[in-house]
Amino acid sequence: MGPSRIRAVARRVLKQIRRDRRFMILVVAAPLLLVFFVKTLFDATSIPAAGQERFVVPFGAYIVHFATFILTAIVLVRERVAQTLERMFVNGYRQFEIVGGYLLGYTALATAVSTMVLVALQLLFNLGYDLERLAELFIVIWLLAVISLSMGILVSNVAQTEGQVIPFIPLVIIPSFLFSGLMVPVDSLPGWAQVISRVSPMYYANQVLQGLVAGTSLSSNPGAVLALPIYGIVVLGAATFTLREHS
Amino acid sequence: MADQAISVSSVFKTYGKVVALSGVDLEVPKGSIVGLVGANGAGKTTLIRLLVGALRPDSGEIRVLGVDPFAHKRKARSMVGYMPQSPVLYEDLTVLENVRFFGRGHISDDVDQKARSVLEFVDLRDEADRQIRALSGGQRQRASLAATLVHEPQMLFLDEPTAGVDPELRHTFWQRFRRLAESGVTLVVSTHQMDEVVHCDRVAIIRSGAVLANATPSELFSSGGATVRVHRGGDMVEQRLGSLSDDLPGLLHNFGLDPSVTRIEVQEPTLEDVVLSMIGREGDHGSK
Repeated sequence: MGPSRIRAVARRVLKQIRRDRRFMILVVAAPLLLVFFVKTLFDATSIPAAGQERFVVPFGAYIVHFATFILTAIVLVRERVAQTLERMFVNGYRQFEIVGGYLLGYTALATAVSTMVLVALQLLFNLGYDLERLAELFIVIWLLAVISLSMGILVSNVAQTEGQVIPFIPLVIIPSFLFSGLMVPVDSLPGWAQVISRVSPMYYANQVLQGLVAGTSLSSNPGAVLALPIYGIVVLGAATFTLREHS
Repeated sequence: MADQAISVSSVFKTYGKVVALSGVDLEVPKGSIVGLVGANGAGKTTLIRLLVGALRPDSGEIRVLGVDPFAHKRKARSMVGYMPQSPVLYEDLTVLENVRFFGRGHISDDVDQKARSVLEFVDLRDEADRQIRALSGGQRQRASLAATLVHEPQMLFLDEPTAGVDPELRHTFWQRFRRLAESGVTLVVSTHQMDEVVHCDRVAIIRSGAVLANATPSELFSSGGATVRVHRGGDMVEQRLGSLSDDLPGLLHNFGLDPSVTRIEVQEPTLEDVVLSMIGREGDHGSK
């Protein structure tokens, strides 16, 4: 019964996404627009094109992280406010089936966003990566996207209203940007900031991405590569455990 | 006990400093329709949410079909159906999609067939492929009822199912509730439409978080007493009787069939009057 109910939630979520065309287009188009803004920014700097990739690829991943985190953070809390979450529980759905179904449904959207952003990076910045390198980059960005969806569910479990989600968004997103090694090396940050950086999935994604753009393969850095799925499992477990029928 | 679908004993529930239920006792026989009547804020919805295991009581014991609904949610919920006050459905899905989705929580086989069959029961077969947002208020209520019935529960909790429904549909709803009860389903129906209590086998009156009475409509009716006015000569004597059938002979005997008695008026309260006098008008602070 568990897997069939997970599929039922995922199918329902996908149906709702498909019917809201505007939402679907915005979710995919907004990250592409942001990638274009990043391109415009880098064109205005003196960083040579060859040195840009160590910045632009993690920036692209960060855009995916942001876009996917917001998706679930808002949608699940909307279900709580509309009481459909309570009705799901009363009608026999369990925590892991609801979280699993949501994750499965939104992963389809996250996959589309990850793919589009990666293709946009490749084309706009003339990265010239071969298929193998693109596949490796995709795995990392996709994992980050799925983790971000789980983080969104976790945040939506803490918030009781859509309004309460809003303060969490900058609290998650801004430290991810500042402390994950995108701007300055993590080692040069003070100790307390380094602790925060390790709480963000962007830190682990950035470590792997930096290795990939420098020309090493995924298998050469297994510790950093494994950190992402482990982080994802922990967040997913926390999201499932904290999903409550009531406040 | 075995014939009781619900057994509630000394249940207390508070929200912070607000006391929602203060020592509720209630027994509901299997296969009956029980009306839960009370003013807004009296504790009807809290009691229903406790009975479906959506809330934990502060103290006291609750058994639904022999099961503690909070401790054994999964088992209890497979046997019960809960219809919330407002039609909680996905607006962007069709009626059939909603019913199928909520049905899949408890059943894995023949969900589509069961969903279509329950839509027939609530007269929504022709609206099956319409989105909820395109339906009228009454149709939404029926769709919500269908989502409650799809897994064929033995026990139903319906929280004000006829609120905002036109009189014709209300009548149809009660006909359906009776058909379900005749098939062995136990129904707990909360309402603040006093005229609906006549459709119930028993009526539980809730006031300020406690059950004031749990009786059949006729028992409630007879507890209302009657007022008798005897016109004699130019005078009128008014007397209140506890029970019309028991006390009227004694009253007439007192007057000894006096020829000066020209007129006797007997005024019995309606069931609605009796219930209203019991629930009182206070406590109208919104539903809990």
